[in-house]
Amino acid sequence: MPSTTETSTDVRDQGGAATAVPPGAPPSRARRPSRWWAWGFLAPVTIYLAAFYAYPLYRHVELSLREYTVRSFVQGGAPFAGLDNYRTVLTDPAFGPTLTHTVVFTAASLAFQFTIGMALALFFHQHFPLSRTLRALILVPWLLPLIVSASTWSWLLNSDSGLVNAALGVVGIDAVNWLTSPGWSLTSVIIANVWIGIPFNLVVLYSGLQAIPTEMYEASALDGATGWQRFWGITFPLLRPVSLITLLLGLIYTLKVFDIIWIMTKGGPTSSSATLATWSYRLGFGNLLPEFGPGAAIGNLLIVLALIAGLLYIRIERRQQLR
Amino acid sequence: MTGLSRRRRLAAVAVIALAAVTGSACSSSADSGADGGAYLVWDPYPQFADDSEWVALLKKCGTSAGVTVERTGYDTTDLTNKALLAAQQGNSPDVLIVDNPVISTLAEAGALTTTDDNKLDVSAMEKNLLGAGQSGGKTYGVPIGANTLALYYNKDLLTAAGVDPAAVKDWTALTAALTKVKAKGKKGITFSAIGTEEGSFQFLPWFWGSGAQLTSLDSPQAVSALTLWTDWLKQGHAPNSVINNTQTTSWQEFATGDYAFAENGTWQLANAEKLGFSYGTIAIPASAGGPAPAPTGGEFVSIPVQKKTGRYETSQKLVTCLTNADNLLTTDTTLSYVAPVAAVQERQATADPKLKVWVEAVRAAKGRTGDDLGTKYPKISEALWTAVQSALSGGKSPQEALAAAQTAATTR
Amino acid sequence: MTTSTPRAWWKTGVGLVLTGLMLFPVYWMINVSFTRDQDMRASPPHLFPTNGTLDGYRAVLDQQLPYLGTSFLVGLGTVALTVALAAPAGYALAKLRPPGGPALSFVLLIAQMIPGIIMAMGFYAIYLTLGVLNTLPGLILADTTLAVPFAVLIFTAFMSGIPDELLQAAVVDGAGRLRTFWSVVLPVSRNSIVTVSLFAFLWSWSDFIFASTLAGGGDYQPITLGIYHYIGNNNQQWNAIMATAVVASIPAAVLLILAQRYVSMGVTAGAVKD
Repeated sequence: MPSTTETSTDVRDQGGAATAVPPGAPPSRARRPSRWWAWGFLAPVTIYLAAFYAYPLYRHVELSLREYTVRSFVQGGAPFAGLDNYRTVLTDPAFGPTLTHTVVFTAASLAFQFTIGMALALFFHQHFPLSRTLRALILVPWLLPLIVSASTWSWLLNSDSGLVNAALGVVGIDAVNWLTSPGWSLTSVIIANVWIGIPFNLVVLYSGLQAIPTEMYEASALDGATGWQRFWGITFPLLRPVSLITLLLGLIYTLKVFDIIWIMTKGGPTSSSATLATWSYRLGFGNLLPEFGPGAAIGNLLIVLALIAGLLYIRIERRQQLR
Repeated sequence: MTGLSRRRRLAAVAVIALAAVTGSACSSSADSGADGGAYLVWDPYPQFADDSEWVALLKKCGTSAGVTVERTGYDTTDLTNKALLAAQQGNSPDVLIVDNPVISTLAEAGALTTTDDNKLDVSAMEKNLLGAGQSGGKTYGVPIGANTLALYYNKDLLTAAGVDPAAVKDWTALTAALTKVKAKGKKGITFSAIGTEEGSFQFLPWFWGSGAQLTSLDSPQAVSALTLWTDWLKQGHAPNSVINNTQTTSWQEFATGDYAFAENGTWQLANAEKLGFSYGTIAIPASAGGPAPAPTGGEFVSIPVQKKTGRYETSQKLVTCLTNADNLLTTDTTLSYVAPVAAVQERQATADPKLKVWVEAVRAAKGRTGDDLGTKYPKISEALWTAVQSALSGGKSPQEALAAAQTAATTR
Repeated sequence: MTTSTPRAWWKTGVGLVLTGLMLFPVYWMINVSFTRDQDMRASPPHLFPTNGTLDGYRAVLDQQLPYLGTSFLVGLGTVALTVALAAPAGYALAKLRPPGGPALSFVLLIAQMIPGIIMAMGFYAIYLTLGVLNTLPGLILADTTLAVPFAVLIFTAFMSGIPDELLQAAVVDGAGRLRTFWSVVLPVSRNSIVTVSLFAFLWSWSDFIFASTLAGGGDYQPITLGIYHYIGNNNQQWNAIMATAVVASIPAAVLLILAQRYVSMGVTAGAVKD
């Protein structure tokens, strides 16, 4: 750029004034005016949300409130059914067990993903040769289409020709019917889901770690704090906002998971690994004769679960800000 | 104060934006996407690339009908949803090729034209195959090729175990053969009992072979069929993995050479030639002897409902071209299927004597949605595969599992 | 900092083992991609593809390369659009705290819970009206919905960690809000931009449902749809499926490693400047 040094300051000031400060606005903001103008920054996302999420969300709610058949799905004119679909789902004998599976699947997945992800993030945060390359490589599972990664897991866990059972055999442990016995199928899909979730936790927590200024560690190192003390004294509290959002997002993604389970076990055998998400998918799209209404009702129940989690999050976050 | 009025204004803007979006989305069935000369064809054969014989045939039929053909291959499970969605939005393709049990679903949805509207001639088609495309006295599509199930066997293994495959005529003989194979340290039989339509498809020959009917899932005959499978698993004649096997997985197991028998379909013929051992096929035996009726598989060509009804004439020409004798022969040879027309079946059997078994099997086969079950079938089928899964995984006895299935299939 | 003490190399060893464990299923996928049909379900399974075959790769290299290009374009487009939409929003929610902000965060949370297939159906209806089915921008726009809510929330969480003094200093210097955002907030947020870009890229790379619903019939098909060439109506060619996944992930993995290198160098440089 051939701009000279004398004029550059002027140009900068003009640019700043022209873009951000409306003409005539007082330069000082000591009075803290209403912050509605900040919606200028939010406008693109708000319009975007209204344009692309409002209709699907409306459609999802509408599907659950009408009695859809294949015919009325295509031709229209499904009668309004009120909460009938919800009643159908809630009184289904499968509801209780499926809800339990969902809770177990979500809680176990979150606990392991987060702990392992945190441990790996802390480990890779230390600088050692190849640390960056290895950390990047751990992301590779995310590059794979789910059909491939989930199929690979069912390959490994196959009762008869799976590597896991072959390895157990070498150690002298009896083969386990990972995917084909009601007692193990949920565990198997949890293992696969934890594996898929670790990179996510690792990356987000790792960038959280990077945001912590190194001086804080240097100070505590002078104080003679051990690694463990440093983690609980500095890292963990400073990582709290990032940890919270990681857990919240993890929760939402885990509640939603259906493809891994669907590919590995179809929710079976006999619904032993079915969650609300797979059930919803089976009803709406996994059958020759779709039942959109109850399927969407289950999907909306999941949204309510996520809402509760979101409320909790906002509460915790508020309390933290007040501190 | 100004804050409040601003807030109100913003809310109003948001509401308008929302209404605009939902409004435009609701009225989206405005115009059909397929216009001009291009005719859209959707098929469940994503394995055929643009340079394949199948696509060449589609183009050729287009040219002879005086139009260009735009073809898309979808994954078969995906195609059902996609077809329903497209029908809802008034954007259906001109020609739709789908798995045969899907026809009754799409017909129920009012998404397909009948032969009365589209003037297709289906008289040459074998009645047992055409059944899957008919409901309420109307015909919604033409079979493009058929397949069914039989037992592939490993010749070397059976010889070593001293089993004569020709003597495997009933369940007792089959189980005896499996016992002999097991005594030699090899594995007996593999099949697919996965919790999807595929699982029901594979169980049906045994189910029907016992004399059971789909209208009564908990009959003693049905229980005997499920007991047969359950006992095989218990005695180690069949691997535990069958509970989660797709038909491909089960074929891969057979291909290792460790299994004496595999229940699989016509479409594996091409792969069978690549096996590292010599193989043969026998019909799946019925309980009391003789071949069991196997379900028909294969796809149907249909003409979806269009807003511009003038398009049916050309679509009908396209379908007629696809299903004429010569083209059926080409298509069914590439798909490794049996043709739905008797005359073409003869030509197939003469060209390749190995196909003779399959032609006979297809002639004896039964449609799943036939017996006027139509859209009742999906519900029954789901109950059936669930029962198979719960009995095989040891959750319930065959009797309990099928009793629960019958309840599930008849309620609601 | 860069001195490699023996202790550091010991850590590299542990790091290699951990990475190896995490990537074992990926190895298995590679193994299967070289395996002949008759060995796929061998019991016990073969640890190495002895008597391997290149059939899978032959099929893939013949047919799949154009799909890779589409996947790259879609991935890059998704990254750009996601960051452009989400970064200002994250800044506003974290630092400007407008009234109604928490409500918007809440909407973002719910937005992520809408099942993908329902989203795809919505897009199908909208795109059909607009006539953008089977187009590259259409697919990019749809793919951003996988990442935008996540991105806003992540930006909010990270940007709330930016010291207020830094922003106030900029304001005192006479910078407007937009300027502050552009020349103070964005540079310090390099880290979270990378995180967001990474996920936006990865999600669009592995997306199947939008690709199938919105681009299934067109000329712009990403690699996930390419895989479906090997999933026939009755039969699947597993070595080719796995080979496609391998071929698809190698260039993307290289890109990841390079990006990480570049970015961590940038981050260290930024840290030194502070």
